[in-house]
Amino acid sequence: MKLIRRDCLRLGAAAGAGTLLSGCSRVIHRYTPPTLAKSIALPAGVTEPTVRLINRLSFGPIPGEVERVASMGAAHYIEEQLNPDETEELSLTLRLRGIDAFHEDAIDMRDVREKEVLRQLQQAGLLHAVYSRHQLRERLVDFWGNHFNIYARKGNGVYFKPNDEMNVIRKHALGTFPDLLRASAHSPAMLGYLDNQVNQRGVANENYARELMELHTLGVHGGYTQKDVQEVARCLTGWTIEDRFLHRKGTFRFDESHHDNGTKTVLGVTIPAGGGQQDGEKVLDILAKHPSTAHFIARKLCRYFLGNGDSPWTQKLAEIYLKTNGDIRSMLRPLFLSPEFLNAPPIMKRPLDFMVSALRALNADTDANTALQEHLAHMGQPLYQWPMPDGYPDRTTAWTGSLLARWNFAFALTTGSIKGTTVDLPALMKAAHATTGIEYGDALFALILGEHTETAALQPLRNKLHDHLAQIPPSNGKNNPIMAEVAALLLSCPQFQWR
Amino acid sequence: MRPNWCGCDGHGNEASRKPLEKPARPATTEAYAGAKFTRRQALMGAALASVGWMARSATALADVAIMPGQQETQGDVLVVVFMRGGADGLSMVVPYAEDAYHRHRQTLGVAAPNDRRARANNRALDLDGFFGLHPALAPLRPLYGEGLLGFAHAVGSGDHTRSHFEAMSAMERGLATESTGTGSGWLARHLDNSPRNNASPLRAVAFSNVMPDSLRGATDATALNSLADFRLSLPNTSEATHIPGSRANRVEAMHHTLTQLYEDGQDAVAHAGRETLAVLDALNKLDPTHYRPANGAVYPNSELGTGLRQVACLLKGHVGLEIACLDHRGPYLWDTHVAQNNILPAQLEDIGKSLAAFAGDMGKDMKGVTVVVMTEFGRRLQENTGLGTDHGRASVMMLMGQGVIGGKVLARWPGLEDHQLEGPGDLRVTMDYRDVLAEVLTRRVNTDYSHNGRLAAVFPNYQPHFPGVTKT
Repeated sequence: MKLIRRDCLRLGAAAGAGTLLSGCSRVIHRYTPPTLAKSIALPAGVTEPTVRLINRLSFGPIPGEVERVASMGAAHYIEEQLNPDETEELSLTLRLRGIDAFHEDAIDMRDVREKEVLRQLQQAGLLHAVYSRHQLRERLVDFWGNHFNIYARKGNGVYFKPNDEMNVIRKHALGTFPDLLRASAHSPAMLGYLDNQVNQRGVANENYARELMELHTLGVHGGYTQKDVQEVARCLTGWTIEDRFLHRKGTFRFDESHHDNGTKTVLGVTIPAGGGQQDGEKVLDILAKHPSTAHFIARKLCRYFLGNGDSPWTQKLAEIYLKTNGDIRSMLRPLFLSPEFLNAPPIMKRPLDFMVSALRALNADTDANTALQEHLAHMGQPLYQWPMPDGYPDRTTAWTGSLLARWNFAFALTTGSIKGTTVDLPALMKAAHATTGIEYGDALFALILGEHTETAALQPLRNKLHDHLAQIPPSNGKNNPIMAEVAALLLSCPQFQWR
Repeated sequence: MRPNWCGCDGHGNEASRKPLEKPARPATTEAYAGAKFTRRQALMGAALASVGWMARSATALADVAIMPGQQETQGDVLVVVFMRGGADGLSMVVPYAEDAYHRHRQTLGVAAPNDRRARANNRALDLDGFFGLHPALAPLRPLYGEGLLGFAHAVGSGDHTRSHFEAMSAMERGLATESTGTGSGWLARHLDNSPRNNASPLRAVAFSNVMPDSLRGATDATALNSLADFRLSLPNTSEATHIPGSRANRVEAMHHTLTQLYEDGQDAVAHAGRETLAVLDALNKLDPTHYRPANGAVYPNSELGTGLRQVACLLKGHVGLEIACLDHRGPYLWDTHVAQNNILPAQLEDIGKSLAAFAGDMGKDMKGVTVVVMTEFGRRLQENTGLGTDHGRASVMMLMGQGVIGGKVLARWPGLEDHQLEGPGDLRVTMDYRDVLAEVLTRRVNTDYSHNGRLAAVFPNYQPHFPGVTKT
């Protein structure tokens, strides 16, 4: 009786505190830690190809993932990831519930400070990446989110980006490129970011028209001229954001009165006078069907997933694009099933990739709140805050200057020094049946690098950490600081920075 | 929703038009051969050994021989100080020979150098018979006399909004006005267009909590509040205290293990990791907290003084610094809408003493350094009833270094009579701030700009005219 009453009180108190702290993130944080697979042991034998597959398709394996994928087979795993269903991890669904920015329309958020909306936006993005079971879709959210980059700190962008993230990027991430392109072109976030909302007849604003062709579809050498930029801009005059009294503010609006209704010629195609909003829709059709677009998108996908845009796969994917009307799944499937996908040289993880892979490897329990977001900013990739329309760079050289921030994140993570983020190393060790220092080491190698320590390639690394490993005392079920430091060192090592 | 002031419609010229680069292939690349690193390390070590305040602790490094003539010839290090809030150029470099100045600034005006009616501490220090320096900037007067310090007057941007944010945003992004062009900063684009084979994480440093807009988009820039921030940070949790050995020893042990983890890889990350560890080592040996300025220089204990002191420390440590960005807010901010005469002297004293201390501390090493001091706009000529001044247009830029044409106030002086003013009565902008920056970059920082055409990427859609503020 007494016990029950106390439990009730504790729950009530926690719920009360949670409500006070806008939403119930506290309660969720406390009662829905991410589940840990029953067996987290690696399958016997060489795991390298499986780990590589997981690393290249997803943000990285969670404990038990290597065995799961090994036993289901690569082809099944690829198919599973290509076809996300409606289900989702409870740890994600519950954590997302407290995030208002994704429940409201832009206009309803206007009284909330920009900083707060930006915090929620980043929080939701990180939570999806860390916890979603549909990892490939989240990788593509990252890919398309950068392809159709929105700088959330320009103008009212932060209020529009949540809708863009949900109804443009995530919705169409595995759909078709023409649908994605159309959704983006009608998205208030994009209309605001690239100034099309002020594109009016007379002196048209060319900003969106130019980037639409240069960065979103044809590519800079895709065969358009300055004249095409001006003509596309004319076609898109009047595409703006609703802001009239008694109308649904913050939604797409075509404003006839600002539209240039004359005849236009775009990439050699005549668009007759009087088309109204259809002028812009026709432009999107022309661009989506253009062979340069097929090639540009194919090349970019190859850069992202193969680390190489000059691969013969660029041509293959471009052909598939044209045959399937830009079906993203149809392009990716043969690429993922190809031997080149596994054998291509490693790709450096960007800060988001690095952070999420570390959190996943150690089954971290995180609220993805400000403390975690600040670590990502220190590494150079604060989400939704790349000012230029080309998205965060994918060149390795852009990211090698921030290693110190990665190391400091690794130490903070494993020692439990990030507010709202914890890793339970003893639980992981228990699940791995590790009880001695050397066994801890083996278990951490398996969790973080996905390979058995006997694997030849890891021997030098293991030798280097041997001094640390030997110091770890036998298990007492508690968190061990040396264990934490070895985990941090493994997250910090060069090998973990590549996928 | 808030007004759209932060805009950057971002044409992204520099980033998007670059030919697509192949990512490094860690398994095969030879781009980061160990030899180059060893030489750099040797140079760094040798340079460190020559730094006076750490000579005793660097005896081991003193054995490393420097190879004369092998040091790459590079342009000046650029130090940019931004006076936030709109500094009153008309009070800093006073056009005392203009009657209109004294008519409009009856309370706030600085008297002519020979005006016996004024108190001695409110008389300008003559510069050239027309302009005089505010008396609170007296520490700078000798530098002007030695030709180390020059001014460009009636400088500004094309921004007419007189909004701090619009004007700062335009200037930091190297644009005419806020609403046009790319979202990245002018210094970020400069770094991107000046490859120097410099992988130092201290290549560009903003001494600030946040990256200033001028460095926005530069992934190789570091924002740090103090050099003490750039360190391996082992959290001091209660658990961590159970580890045997002191915290310092543990940091050292971690550093040691990281060095081992990174010592033999040939991939880009391993290379960068070694650079990072080398800089950590360098900073550790520099021991910035115990840095002693040379030549008896005394820095004010202010944000700017501390910042410039750290810049000097880094420069003398040769850690690969190319760009340093500092904000000058000063004790009161530059936004002197009221009681200007109570505020401005303290502001000017801080910046004057800080810059003079830096020049004194650097001594002969000023040879490779150019300092640019700028502000988003000047202030109205007519003082207001609150004995302050409101947002205006043109202000003054300061340039310091052995490569600048010092001892001179450069201006296409527009005059201060009513018909010569701009808008509601502001000093007219007759020199675009980008003319000054473009000249400094081309003549002092990266001479390749004079022939490779890449300056156009730093200041897009602008054809600068060098006003002649630097030596060639």
